[in-house]
Amino acid sequence: MKTGGKSYVSSPPAFSNDGKRLLVCTGNTVSIFSTSTGLQIASLEGHTAPVTSVIVVPASSPASKILCCCWTASLDGSIRHWDFSVPDLMKKVDIKMPIFSMVIPSLLVQPVENDEKPSDLFAYLSVEDTIEQENRPKASRGQIRKCNLTASRLIGGLILKETPTPEFVAVSSVGKFIGIRNKRKLHIWMVPEKDSGRSVSKKIALHHTKNLTVLAFHPSKRIVAAGDVTGRILVWRGFGYQTFSVSDELVSGRLVDKEEERPGVRGNDDADSCSTWHWHSAEVNVLFFSSDGAYLYSGGKEGVLVVWQLDTGKKKFLPRIGSPLLYYTDSPDPTLSSISCADNQIHILKMPSMEILNSISGIKLPHSLPGIYEGLYSGFAFDYSSGLVALCTENYGIQFYSLFNDRGIYEVQVCERNHQPADEITVVVTFVALSQDGSMMSTVEAKLPEEGIGGLVCLKFWALGSENKKFSLSTVIYEPHRDAGISAVAFHPTRNVAVSSSYGGDFKLWVCNDEIQEKGLMLQNSGWACLAVGAYKKKPMTAAAFSCDGSVLAVAAETVITLWDPNKNVLVAVIGETLTPIVTLSFAGNSEYLVSVSRGSKPQLSIWSMSKLSLSWSYKLHIEAVACAVNLSSFAVLALLPESSICMESEPSFQGRDGIILVFNAMDPVPVSTWSVKKAKGGGVAFLQGYTSSLKQNNSDGNAQQELLVYINSDREYILFDPYGNEANELGMSQQDGLVEFEETEKFGYASIYGELPKLNLTRNQTSLVPSVPSERPWESIFSGSSHNLPPLTKVCSAFLESLMEKRTAVVE
Amino acid sequence: MAEPSSSFKPVKPKLKPKPRTPKQTPESKYWSSFKTHQIPNLISSVTSINFSPTTPHPFAATYSTSLTLFSPQTLSPSSTISSFSDVVSSASFRCDGLLIAASDLSGLIKVFDVKTRTPLRKLRSHTRPVRFVKYPVHDKLHLVSGGDDALVKYWDVATETPILELQGHKDYVRSGDFSPVSHELCVTGSYDHTVKLWDVRVADSKSVMEVNHGKPVEDVIFLPSGGLVATAGGNTVKIWDLIGGGRMVFSMESHTKTVTSICVGRAGKVSGEEGRENRVLSVGLDGYMKVFDYGRMKITHSMRFPAPLMSIGFSPDCGMRVIGSSNGVLYVGKKKTKEENVESGVRSFWSLGQEERRVMRPSYFRYFQRGQGEKPKEGDYVVMRPKKLKLAEHDKLLKKFRHKEALVSVLDGKNPENVVAVMEELVARRKLFKCVENLNNEELGLLLMFLHKYTTVPRYSSLLMGLTKKVLEMRIEDIRGSEALKDQIRNLKRSVEEEIRIQHSLQEIQGIISPLLRIAGRR
Repeated sequence: MKTGGKSYVSSPPAFSNDGKRLLVCTGNTVSIFSTSTGLQIASLEGHTAPVTSVIVVPASSPASKILCCCWTASLDGSIRHWDFSVPDLMKKVDIKMPIFSMVIPSLLVQPVENDEKPSDLFAYLSVEDTIEQENRPKASRGQIRKCNLTASRLIGGLILKETPTPEFVAVSSVGKFIGIRNKRKLHIWMVPEKDSGRSVSKKIALHHTKNLTVLAFHPSKRIVAAGDVTGRILVWRGFGYQTFSVSDELVSGRLVDKEEERPGVRGNDDADSCSTWHWHSAEVNVLFFSSDGAYLYSGGKEGVLVVWQLDTGKKKFLPRIGSPLLYYTDSPDPTLSSISCADNQIHILKMPSMEILNSISGIKLPHSLPGIYEGLYSGFAFDYSSGLVALCTENYGIQFYSLFNDRGIYEVQVCERNHQPADEITVVVTFVALSQDGSMMSTVEAKLPEEGIGGLVCLKFWALGSENKKFSLSTVIYEPHRDAGISAVAFHPTRNVAVSSSYGGDFKLWVCNDEIQEKGLMLQNSGWACLAVGAYKKKPMTAAAFSCDGSVLAVAAETVITLWDPNKNVLVAVIGETLTPIVTLSFAGNSEYLVSVSRGSKPQLSIWSMSKLSLSWSYKLHIEAVACAVNLSSFAVLALLPESSICMESEPSFQGRDGIILVFNAMDPVPVSTWSVKKAKGGGVAFLQGYTSSLKQNNSDGNAQQELLVYINSDREYILFDPYGNEANELGMSQQDGLVEFEETEKFGYASIYGELPKLNLTRNQTSLVPSVPSERPWESIFSGSSHNLPPLTKVCSAFLESLMEKRTAVVE
Repeated sequence: MAEPSSSFKPVKPKLKPKPRTPKQTPESKYWSSFKTHQIPNLISSVTSINFSPTTPHPFAATYSTSLTLFSPQTLSPSSTISSFSDVVSSASFRCDGLLIAASDLSGLIKVFDVKTRTPLRKLRSHTRPVRFVKYPVHDKLHLVSGGDDALVKYWDVATETPILELQGHKDYVRSGDFSPVSHELCVTGSYDHTVKLWDVRVADSKSVMEVNHGKPVEDVIFLPSGGLVATAGGNTVKIWDLIGGGRMVFSMESHTKTVTSICVGRAGKVSGEEGRENRVLSVGLDGYMKVFDYGRMKITHSMRFPAPLMSIGFSPDCGMRVIGSSNGVLYVGKKKTKEENVESGVRSFWSLGQEERRVMRPSYFRYFQRGQGEKPKEGDYVVMRPKKLKLAEHDKLLKKFRHKEALVSVLDGKNPENVVAVMEELVARRKLFKCVENLNNEELGLLLMFLHKYTTVPRYSSLLMGLTKKVLEMRIEDIRGSEALKDQIRNLKRSVEEEIRIQHSLQEIQGIISPLLRIAGRR
């Protein structure tokens, strides 16, 4: 079992002290990525609910830069302290309240003198008050609290502020101020220099006329910036001189309270001036001051990172990032920073020039589809053999995501167009299909018309390049079925033939003709061309599938299924019918059964026998997705539980689960096995060829040709498991299996210069030696044999020591 | 992972369908690279064309009662011999290019000095019109001729006497050729459908070999290997293997009318002499010249001329192809020669005096650009300047979201594909109608002119017809107010009416054809 596809952008990431690692909150774990390669190195596991904050303990001296400690806070109500180089849990503080945000200002304060006894460590938390939920349903649920981490307890009774919802807590980079936004106000506290448990810090509020979204503190001066929902950025200068003034360092002249000397400041807000910058057209999500305080970074829904020169207000841009920005994080290394985008990508930026060095690409999230394409959209296709999933992305591309390695492989741009994240969706990739061997892909894109003109449906065929293993465009077909939309594309299992069915009432068979010219000079001219057109009573064709051997083509004409001979394009038979239009057709493996799914008011899962041309059995189920095993006659369906049953059943086993995966044998209406899952609406299932190398459990079985079932939910989180194994039937996405890959990204010493030494020698020795030693003293014979056969001592040494240790344990037992 | 999103993507017009077969093979490119010149006003049809074997390969064309030599450089007649009493049927250069033999329909064969045009010998023995005369390839002393008396004669030129009279043909002898490898073998073709191979050493005047073409033979040539013979007769050109006992290798039937003349041409790269391959060039009364690759048995090029063609010749240096038509026009195809080399050589000779280079001083503009055009040496590490993405004007405007300006700028350009691409992009941005609304009268006129031109073009009509309707709806007030715009609308109306008329007639045709197809499909 293997899970993955977590969101990388649920909360801001954090850089390690050397800037070489990036700690990213991924669901219940914190994944550590290398910034140079973008690959995952390790993960911190232990939290039982999504992690919301990760704070790296900053290095106070250059010597302690190798120190790798971090604090994490999670919705499970615990704060943990880790050494992430090992990785190892060092401390756990349980406060029993879901934590949405945590800051530890005292970590950021540079220690002045070391002879003093280190004071307690205090964290400021934004928690959700779950206890009083029943009594006061409308009350404020978010609270800002303080926690003594050294003593591992929450400071009782001290609630700094109550807000309607838990808010993100911002802290200034020297740890002097913390602040939150609350509707149209900013609340700012000054952290006392000698923080103690009960000390209530002073608070000011700054007001604005629009809802604020984000705030940031200047690293050295008393400047706070905030963004609002309309895209304005407000910069308050000199805030809090009155309230936060310490008596002995009172600055005279600052206390003059005259309205005309405080331009832009509302009411009695404690600030010298407030200026407004407006460039963003929509909500500002990102605000960040550069470490020297000269620049302010801002970003929002447009996907443009704007750099403001703080003194002059001049702007520089990093345009076309392609997705709304969520977080900006800078690193102790001044040349590196990262931006997190809404499409689950974290881009590592090279700083002064703002080049994108590297991207940590998570699985791209589904995007909303306008109008007619809403219901029938799956948006992904699975590559059976290589374990890839191809996902339609919002920026008109296809992302290939490796399910076994849990990382994005590459992206293919389907439509050459500049994506503006804030705009209305007018061009959309509606469909992707992969051939069974994964060598061909077809995509359908639709351009939506403006007031009835300019609409375009475009079918594209792609071929996998032989050397770079990337898809390249082979053929473009504009308006393959006049202006009608395409409902399905399916590939022939063995030949270069594909079928596309349309709502316009016809289906077309496409054939790829590989014309190799006689002369070697001529390029291979291959293209797809229409071979045949078919229609049945001018009914909209809603689904299409080839049988396992490719001898039968099944096309659903609304409620009936038409069977065709793809070679002669002759209608063979018509079977049916169902109550509502069929949306999916699939042959159950190599059996003679055809699975059809219809949705709507009377959903139905029907199994048709091809030999009898009649209905074999059926269920009244709302099926979200169907997957058929390739070589067996079994198939899996993802069914949505009816809403009534979710509401009625208050059993703990069904909480939050709205879907069920059923594995059937086509002959038998009794499911072979079932699993209940969460977030099934919009999800999918598929069978994949199991890889023994990537799944250790299969390794022990030694069964290479095992098929795995993958379930991907609506948030594009997925789980891979063996449907025939005797594993636990419990399959919540909350379950974690300790199978994260540890990839050593950096090589040292010899290996960095000359590459890895071949390991063949060692393994051969082990295999030949260990079974040949039946005696209880294997170390005696380990060096036997002629000297030129013997591997170098350095290599034999480990095996030798190992054999000694084995002996010991045997004795103990 | 590469980050493709950071560069701006210009709008691209839709792709056009590619023809399944490439439009131009390298070979057809070669053949069409001959630049055609016309030499008109020769009287009556051109009966034969013959190239001199010596450089610069002047060629002789025979027509009416005269023979004209053309210079290959200027394509102008250098000399004309018109001392014939009847129509000249054929001419042949001797292998050294100094003498030329010509035959006429009175039965006389004359041998001239090419330079002085003086007739040196008169060979009189044929009683009927002579149709061909031919010098052997390496023999300076003999000639072969054939004519309507069905006799082939082998002449000793010096004594003006026929050495051999080769009998065997039963009809007019129309053509003949000497073997390129031996001066004793010749082949003749006759209207009795046969092609006979003669050996002049055999005195019994029997043909060595005989093949039947099946149609009256118009022309026969040896192919350069000496083992193959190509014959033309009727609509076909046939290739025969003489060494293999007169076996027919291939029959090329792509002319629609009688093939009148064939010759050997060479195709291939211009530079490498060894890269050239031999082809059979054939011309016919259907006005086509076909290039036949007898190695692959394929027609590799075909070219249409506006008149029935009578004769063809191909220069030995591959620089020229001359075709004579029945109405007295010579179509000369000439390849560009590298005369520039010669000229530059001349210039360097003349510029010897100014060899020393001028010293660069900061007073020249070039001083500041010195060394910038330097090519990198072999071992140099080249640091490339990042390629600048060139954006068209409309792309720049689209990048700045100045939609109306982008539309106007692309309408100013002359490329309809780009205009449609920009319109599609504006549709995707939901800004097209806003743009149309904001156009001023002048720009609206521009748009209307574009619509008038391209609304009925099938490739663009799906978008433009809808747009035209919308534009008329939205801007009706402005159009009423301006005479110029009214004119545009009138034009638009006319082109739409035209299109409707075409559609009607197409539908009529469809109405006629579809029952036929239905019937055909039933069988």
